[in-house]
Formats: sequence, C-alpha cells, structure tokens
Amino acid sequence: MTESSHHPLRDHQPRFQGLDSGHRACQGCGEALAARLVTEAAGPDVIVSNATGCLEVFSTPWPETAWRIPWLHSLFENAASVAAGMEAAMRAQGRDTKVLAFAGDGGTFDIGMRGLSGMLERGHDVLYVCFDNEAYMNTGVQRSSSTPHAAMTTTSPPGRERMGKRHLKKDLLAIVAAHHIPYAATASVAYPSDLRKKVRRAMGVEGPSFLLVHSPCPLGWGHDSALTVQVARLAVQTGLFPLVEMERGSVASVMPIRRPCPVTDYLKLQRRFRHLFADHPRAREELEHLQALADHNIEVYRLAGEEPDPLDTEGADTVRRGGMRYA
Amino acid sequence: MPRLTPAAVAFPGSSLAFRTGDWRIERPEHHYRPAPCHAACPAGEDAQAYLAYVELERFREAWETLVGANPLPAITGRVCHHPCEQACNRGRYDEPIAIHHVERFLGDEAIANDWPYPVRPVPADAEEVAVVGAGPAGLACAYHLLREGLRPVVFEALPEPGGLLRSAIPAYRLPREVLDAELARLLAAGIRLEAGRRLGRDVALDELRKDYAAVFLAPGLQKPREWSVGGMTPSDLHAGLDLLKEWMEVGEVPDWHSVAIVGAGNTAVDLARVLRRAGVPEVHIISHKAIPGHGAPPEDTMPAIPREVHQALEEGVQIHEHRGVQRLILRGERVVGVEMVHMKKLPGTDGRLHRVPFEGTEHILHVDQVIPAVGQVVDGEGLETILEGRGWLPADRWGHFDGQQGLYVGGDARGDHGTVTEAVGDGRRAAMAIARQVRGEAPPQEAGTEPIAFERINTHYFEHRARPRERVVPPEQRTDCREIELGLDGAEVIGEGQRCFSCGNCMACDNCWTLCPDSAVLKVRQEAAGGDDYVFDYDFCKGCGLCAHECPCGYIDMVPESA
Amino acid sequence: MPQALEGSQAIARAVALCRPGVVAAYPITPQTHIVENISKLVADGELHCELVSVESEFSAASVVLGAAAAGSRAYTASASQGILLMSEVLYNIAGLRVPLVLTCANRAVSAPLSIWNDHQDSMAVRDAGWIQLYCADNQEAVDTTIQAYRISERLELPVMVCVDGFTLTHTLEPIELPTQAQVDGYLPPYRFSRALDPMRPLSMGELVSPAYFTEVRHTHHVALRGALPEIEAADADWAEVCGRHSGGLVEVVREGEGGGIGILSIGSVTGTFADAAEQYTELPAARLIRLRCFRPFPDEALRAACAGLSDLVVVERALSPGAGGIVGTEVRAALREMDEPPRVHDVAVGLGGRDVPLELYPRLIEVARGEQETRFSILDLEPDKLPEEVR
Repeated sequence: MTESSHHPLRDHQPRFQGLDSGHRACQGCGEALAARLVTEAAGPDVIVSNATGCLEVFSTPWPETAWRIPWLHSLFENAASVAAGMEAAMRAQGRDTKVLAFAGDGGTFDIGMRGLSGMLERGHDVLYVCFDNEAYMNTGVQRSSSTPHAAMTTTSPPGRERMGKRHLKKDLLAIVAAHHIPYAATASVAYPSDLRKKVRRAMGVEGPSFLLVHSPCPLGWGHDSALTVQVARLAVQTGLFPLVEMERGSVASVMPIRRPCPVTDYLKLQRRFRHLFADHPRAREELEHLQALADHNIEVYRLAGEEPDPLDTEGADTVRRGGMRYA
Repeated sequence: MPRLTPAAVAFPGSSLAFRTGDWRIERPEHHYRPAPCHAACPAGEDAQAYLAYVELERFREAWETLVGANPLPAITGRVCHHPCEQACNRGRYDEPIAIHHVERFLGDEAIANDWPYPVRPVPADAEEVAVVGAGPAGLACAYHLLREGLRPVVFEALPEPGGLLRSAIPAYRLPREVLDAELARLLAAGIRLEAGRRLGRDVALDELRKDYAAVFLAPGLQKPREWSVGGMTPSDLHAGLDLLKEWMEVGEVPDWHSVAIVGAGNTAVDLARVLRRAGVPEVHIISHKAIPGHGAPPEDTMPAIPREVHQALEEGVQIHEHRGVQRLILRGERVVGVEMVHMKKLPGTDGRLHRVPFEGTEHILHVDQVIPAVGQVVDGEGLETILEGRGWLPADRWGHFDGQQGLYVGGDARGDHGTVTEAVGDGRRAAMAIARQVRGEAPPQEAGTEPIAFERINTHYFEHRARPRERVVPPEQRTDCREIELGLDGAEVIGEGQRCFSCGNCMACDNCWTLCPDSAVLKVRQEAAGGDDYVFDYDFCKGCGLCAHECPCGYIDMVPESA
Repeated sequence: MPQALEGSQAIARAVALCRPGVVAAYPITPQTHIVENISKLVADGELHCELVSVESEFSAASVVLGAAAAGSRAYTASASQGILLMSEVLYNIAGLRVPLVLTCANRAVSAPLSIWNDHQDSMAVRDAGWIQLYCADNQEAVDTTIQAYRISERLELPVMVCVDGFTLTHTLEPIELPTQAQVDGYLPPYRFSRALDPMRPLSMGELVSPAYFTEVRHTHHVALRGALPEIEAADADWAEVCGRHSGGLVEVVREGEGGGIGILSIGSVTGTFADAAEQYTELPAARLIRLRCFRPFPDEALRAACAGLSDLVVVERALSPGAGGIVGTEVRAALREMDEPPRVHDVAVGLGGRDVPLELYPRLIEVARGEQETRFSILDLEPDKLPEEVR
C-alpha cells in the first residue's frame, strides 16, 4: 500500500493523527470529530476494538482505512468483549498498550449492554468510548434507548397519536457508574479541551473507564453541518447533556453551567424536534417536559455554578492566541 | 485494480487515496476584514493588530505596529476621544477594550525604553517636502514622509514643536514631560525642524512651493472667531483659547470670582477646568448642546470629549446644557451677568433642525466675566493668496487643497474636524498622497472594506470579563497640573489583549484545526501566532462550514464553489 | 504411563500443555468441567494464563477473538445454546481468519430443553467457516486439541474440536498425557501474521463491497480445502511424537468383509459399534468408518474408505428437520462420484441423549440389507410414544 501524494504539511502536524482524512463521514460529522479528538489524546500506543456502525463503515471501506492505530471491527454488540480479550492478551504478554473500545449508542445502550457490563464488572483495563448520536444512524435514523424523549426518528415519528419518542433517554452513565469503576465521564465535541482531559485521565486509570461523548449527527438530527459544535454546546448549556465525571460511582466533578440556556435554544436548531414547535397543546407540553428534564439534570448534578469558574461552560473554551488551550 | 489482502485488512494512509474534497459545494476561505476599532480610528491605527502582540506580551512589536500609523501614541493615548472604543465589538458583549489605555501604555513603554521609530534612513537624493506647522498633523505628515523615503522640513512659528498639544492642552491631561519626550524622540527619527520660522513673516508660501516637491499646510486655527450678543461685546473680552494659552504659558489668570464660558468644545471644557485649578470659585459653561451620556443624539451633544466633560463636572464646573445667551448684562462696559434661555434643536417645518429658544425660561446668571470659546479660524498671515477670505482651507480626504498640484492641507485648518487624532490621520494620508505624487503614481484610493460585524464573532469562545478600572486622582486632589488619569499597568494591558475579539483576523486559537472532522485544516507552524498559520487542504475539505462557524474572529468565510 | 482422567479434565490438561495466553468461557452443561479444570490449574499455578470468566458465550467467543487478534493463543469451550449464541461471532472469527481452538461438548439444542448429547449444536454452525474435528474418545480429544492449535495457527483458520457431551466429557478413561516437552516440540509459540500491534498498525474487519466479497469468500473456501492435507499431516506428525494416531480425516476403524456393508459414524458412537461387531459374530462384519473431519469435507478420503462397499449406513446424531440427515446427505453426494458407489442409507440415532446401545448394531445391518435405500429415518424412534396423528 502506498500513500498517495498529499499536502506536504500533513506529515508535520504537531499532533497525533489517529483518524486520518479521506474517511467518508458526512459533512460536519460529530462522531468523526469525536473519534479524531479521542485518538489524538489517547496517542499511538493503543489497540482499538470498534463496534459496527457509522464510525466503522465510514472509516474502513476496503481497501482503505482512515485509522493509523491497530484497529479491529468484529460485530455490533461485542466491542467491549473483544476489547476485554485484547486486554487479557496484553496482560498475558506483559505489555501495557491501552485497549480502547469504540461503539455508538446502539452498540452500547442497547445491543452491546451485556458485553459492556461484563467488561466493566471484570475490571478490564479498557477505555470504552461511546459516541452518542442518539439513534441508529447507520441504518437510517431509528430510535435507540439513547434517543431523547420526544425526538423524531424513523421509528418514533410524530403523528396524530404520538409526539416522537415516548420514552426517556436511558441514564447510561448511572448504569455504568453503578459498576463502581474507577472512572466514568460524559464529554462533548463542543468542549474539546475537556474531552481530551477526560481521555487522558481515563488513559491513566488502571481498570475500566468509560466515556460517553455527545456527538451530533447533522443528517439524523436535521441541523446544518456547520452547526455541529453549536448544537453540542447548547446540549450542554441547557442541561440536557450534563458533563460530569464519576469516580467509583460518585460524582467527582461537573462542568457548571454559568448561564443556562432554555432548551428551546437547543431544540429549535434540529429537525428532529421540529414537531414540538407546532401550535398544539401536546407540543407545548413536551417542550415543558424537556425543559423539566434539563432542570432536573441541573438540580441533580448541581450544575448551576454559583460564581464564574474557569472550567464552566463559558470559561472552559475561552480562546487564547496561539491555541495553547488545546495543548 | 487492487489485489485482495489476507482477510481484507488495510493499512494506514490508504484513506488518503479517497479525495473527499469532491463533495464540497462551498469552500472555506480566510478573509481578513478590518476590525471596527481599526475602521473607526481617525489616525488609521489597527488596534486589533497591536492588541495581538500585547496579548503575547510583545510590547515592542505592538508599539512598532501602532506607530506604523500614529507616531504619537503616548500623546493620543491621553487626549484622544477614542472612537475606537465606541466601535469596539466587545462593547456589545460586555465592555469595550480599553484601547486608549493600551495605546498610552505602549507609547510610555517606548519612551521609557527608548525604542527607535521604525524608519529607514532616507536616501541622500531624496526629494524634500515642506511641512508648515509642527502640530500633530504636521509632525505625523513629516514622520510618514520619512517612512516613504522622503525628506521633510518642518517650519514652525513658535520656538518649540507641538502646536496646540503644547499651547492648548493642559498638563493635567497631557504632562509636559510626556509631550517633550515623545516629540523629541520623533524628531530624532530624522525630521528637520525649522523652529521660529513663521509663514508669511519668515518664509513665503510661493517660495516653499517652488523649492520643495510638495507643501503640507497644517497651521492650525489661531484666530478666535468673532463673537457678540446682539451686536454687543464686553470691553474686556478674552477669547477662550487665548486665555488658555496664557495660562499655559504664565500659569496665571485674572483674579475672578465667577466666570461664564460660552461654548461646548474642548477649549471651553479645558478652560473651565483650568480656571477651577487657578482658584476661580464659580465656573459655568453655557452650552447649546447636551451633556454627553444621557441619550441625546450625537449631533446635539457637546463636541468636547465626554470623559473630560464628566471630569469637569466632578471638579465643580457647572454646565448649563441646552442654554443660549440671549443678552449680556452690562454695568457700563463691564459684564456683570448674562441672561440665559433654554433652547433646543428641533425639526422645523422645512424638516431641518433649528435651535428654538423657549420664551419664559430666561434666567440671569451673575458673573464677573464672560468668555467666548466658540471656535477659531485660520490665521490668514502668509496664506492670503489661497485663503480667499475663508476661515478654513478645505481639502479632500487625502489633503489635496482645491485640486492644486503639490499643495496639501491637514489638521484643524481643514475646518471639517478638530481632534488631535484626526490631525494625525490627515498627516498620514497626505504623506501617502505626496509620496505617490512624487513617485509619479496615481493618487491613493480608499480601501473601503466594511468592518466586521458583531454577529460574525463567535462570542462563546470569550469569557465575560470586566474592563479594568483606570485609576484617577480624586476630584478634591485635582488642584495642580499633575496628570489625573493614571493609566493601566502591564498586567491589565495584557488582559485587554486577551479580551480582544481579534475581529476579522486570525488569532491562531487552533479552533479550525481542532474542530475539523476531516482533518482538512493543516497547521503551518508548530506554534501558531496569527495570520496565515493554517491552510485548508481542499483535497479533503468537505465544505461542512464548521470551521467558519466556530472561528471566534469571523476570519473564515464559506464561498460557493465555482462549477 | 496412562492416568485415569475424566474427559473434561484430560482436555483441560491438554489445553494447558498448549500454553494458552487467554482462556475465556461461560458455564454450560456439559462443558463446565473443562473450564472448571482449567480454572483449577490456573488457581494451582500450573497454568499461567488470563482466565476470563465472561458473562455469556457471545462474549467468550468475542474475548478469544480479541485475544488471538492481539497476539495471544486463546481457548474457549461451549455447547448447545452456547454455540448458537456464539454463532455470529464464530462466523466472524472465521471470516477474520483468526486462529483459535474451541471445544464443543456436543449437546442437543433447545427446545425442548435437553442437556444431553447429540450433534445438533456443532452441525448448526458447520457453515461458519471453521474446521470441525469430531473425537472418538478422550485420548483423541487430548491429542486432537494439541493438533488443532497447530492446524489453526499454520492456516489462520479456527478449529472446533467436538467431543460428545457426558459420553466423553464426564467419563473416566485411562489417558496418556503428553509431556510438556513433547507439546513444545510439536507446537511452536503462537504467532499471528496480522496481530494487532501499535508498531505495525493495520485495520481488520473492513467493509467489503460486492466487488470483492465473492473473492474473500472464495479465498476462505480455498483455505479450508487446503486444510485437508494439513490435518492429515498434523496427525501424522503428532503420531511421530507420541506414537498415537487420531484418525486423520477419515478413519477405517475396523475392516469388514470384502464387498459388503459399511457403517459410517461420527464421534464416540463408533466405539459402540466396534464393541457390537465383536459381540454379534453371527452377523456379517461391517466396515466401520469414522468421519473425524467434517469441515472441510474430506470427499476423496471418504471415497477411498468406502471403496468396494455395496451399502453404507450413515449414522448421524442430528438432523435437518424437513430435509433429513446432514452428514448422510453430504456423504451421498460425495460418493456419487465413485465408479460404483454404494447405496447410502441415512439414519439418525441418539438424539437428545437417547442411549445408543450395542443392540442397535443388528438393526443397522438390517437397514443395509433392506430392499430399498433408506433415504432417511430416525432409527431409534419409538412410535408407541407418539400421539395418534403423527404415528
């Protein structure tokens, strides 16, 4: 395999490039961004077990691969178990290469739940990263247990009798944390420094660690491809997707929300929530419901920052000339 | 045709064969746009550019960038009304950048460290250009002529340079040592000053036009405007500017008890404050226009610098806004009071604004002196041939006087504006025009790019942060000529650099590089600093627009792909 | 010096002798004793490996897949429902061409629930792309396990070693365990050419378009066909080490009378028929043939073993409902290429653990002598037990 001629600067980028260009993710793909950020922070001394899904399909259409790290895709529901086997092999060989497992929300919240739970319970030294785009995107946007309440998918369409998904988004972090693992956290592509910090923290943990990365899907969520980060940011700033870290089952830290935004700021950018803006009492009720869910998160995780915090939703991403914040 | 690999494995780098750039219908491009502060600065300073260096604590480069436009930052940092800060996009987010403080800090640093002006030696055969008047316009013009490789010769009537900076701006606003130091350093950059040579008396305009490649006239306004109330003038009339100059020179004013100053400009306010400092217990300003800061439209607001007006109020000056003098009350030929009346500018039946006095609002103010400060005109001496009876020497934006070849005008003498910074800008533009004329090139053209709008700034990336509070001498201690505004320290100034949005210009924050899902933004240098530090790899850019949306500075535009 | 060992224990010891890096398993009857014994070896410090007690067979297969891909010799065992739960992973392992050894303690598949022995489980995954070797006894299970690793790692194909549940796994037999030196001399350390390694990154498990999928499948088929001589060689080479043959591809266990009847079976029932042939001396001696290797299917070896037969009775332990026999169908197809193929009678016996007694032998002879070729029947069916409507 020879690398085709490419921009000479490509070979001199001051960061580790785990996921290369030329992958076939849609424009503005949050998952591609998240995967690149995660692998960048994790570095080259890793082995990846990747579940079936968009990430796998867009990155590895034979004879191409966009990965620059050893990578294996087995099946939809066994990323955690395959990773556990890899980790056992590393242990057997006396190597300390870190094993990563990548999966989407379908492969984690739903079909991969058993394997994930087993891997966590057995204490494998694996960092499991779930790229959460809140539906089965690879198969054409069907609802998963991660799909937010009231969101439209092709299997939770709004209609005369329904306002999108009837059920709630599964609280996966709580389930994962209940395994009493050393480190579990949520992160978002809108906060890359925070995301990378969490990856590094997880890499340093001995034992299982878990990262749930909120990764907008422009196609599935129905927003402009330029708004991926904006949408992800608003999910955090409304309280709908709280950024928290848990150690051994207890909340260790949260990203405080300095100025919470109303959920409508977030919802109105996305076609999957468009039906909630109809002039209809049920629609209004569901908007209030989603606001209440956000408020509940803010209360439960104590997200309302009392005074400016350098790591809150405003301070965390303050830009600096020369880009030092991402170092 | 690729041959099957064992178990269909693939190897790193192979995805680069697939050029996702084909998918693009819009491409990101770097487009520089001037920041509003830049567009608003009469002197042409690009505050955004020097704030970038300030943020990195590279003060010398910041100063060199600054003096690329304005050679007098220690002075203008103190006396300018800073329209840059009114224009600053950050003002729509929390508080504008304290640009004038940064400017002043850099000017002071340059003096303290004796950084040489960025001027190359002038070639021996350089053309000479005559500059009349060593005020801000004349000196700025001379400096930029030097930078253009020309040799300026400055003719100044007074023994010392500075013009109204020296003669009319009190030391509590502009300390003499700052003025002297900055001017001395500027002259040392290679400006020949012919001090004590007055136009008309010591040198003739025709002579200059004959002997020099071009002439830049910046004589200022030296003659007070005629003033009377219903045809009456007090016998002991003192013009405001003359009184101010007198006090500046001898440090004394007559022993008055109460004074009414008629006017609303900087001269009126400066004089009022000087009189308070000289011990006059009651000082009034009678202004047709409103005190700034209460929502009055700009055209109906006192033209004096708002900050100075408020400091005057703090110091006990009484300002009577929206008032006119209707009658002088004389005892014999001496003034003992004025009759004021409320007036306001209102649209008349013709749709235009007229000043309307309101009957029944008359009020007598008992004073022992009335001082008009209603403006000045050009002193005609030596300029008779071109003044033609006017009070001003009108010129186009580049300073061309009446289309006459080789003759340029700048500063207050133009009659269309009257601040130090505008004068500096006049000098700079005229120097550019002169240089092009000398080189036989076409006259300069206006760049004309719109400054970048607030809406293009992604404010999420900027934390709310208050502007630093400047230290000011409390009013009760303002009894002498010591400077009352004490500026900001280095840390505060760096903080302002950090607060700057870097409107319309790359700040090398790495956002585009970090957030591109396709790794189609490549970094040019390991440590970016701003400018062209990133390139788009159009082989792979899918045109999603994420980088443009997340650019904090509005430096990236999405442009349709041509077919 | 043979020792009396339970089948599961013997298999566990054989696995240990192969020095696996990772063992993963989930308990299911009748496989449990194998992993229990391995666990004990690990606990006693006799086996140094990562023992992963997973939460399902699906994960057991996934763990060993990950481990083998990451460069460690790996082992798992299962049965019945476990094999079926694994089935998606089994296809995947084979398609990825990852070397692995799995013991299938053959058991019937639910419903109805049965914990007892037949071959329905391994037969259900015969098309997964694995090599399948069926053992006649526990000594063979030991030897085949060791051979399986060599075959698997040389060919980068997974091997399923099938042993009859209870019949073998839970019975004590005298077993000759090879020495560690013998195994080490025979089986080189694990090496996988595509092992995942940060120093030489590659991507496995790619999406393959219709333009190449056919070629991938063809390559896999060719690889399995090419395994036939390798399986024979592995057996022969191991025989040189320890003096024991395990039956190659197809074993003629007992020569019969010329031109007569043959009985082909798979797994441990062959031993029963050998004993029966000794007992029923009044009956014509049938040629007893054991199909040791079911995948890849050894057509040529089978034809050679059947040469000169007039009738062959295929005795199988599973069925394809609605079609009939599985092994018999394939045998019949293979023998059709012979110049004078025997009649092939296909019978199933011993489903769900029903005892296969010596007394069955005369009935097999009877089937062979029948006027008609028996296309398929369940020979030990007891019609009296059936409800009226299906009797």
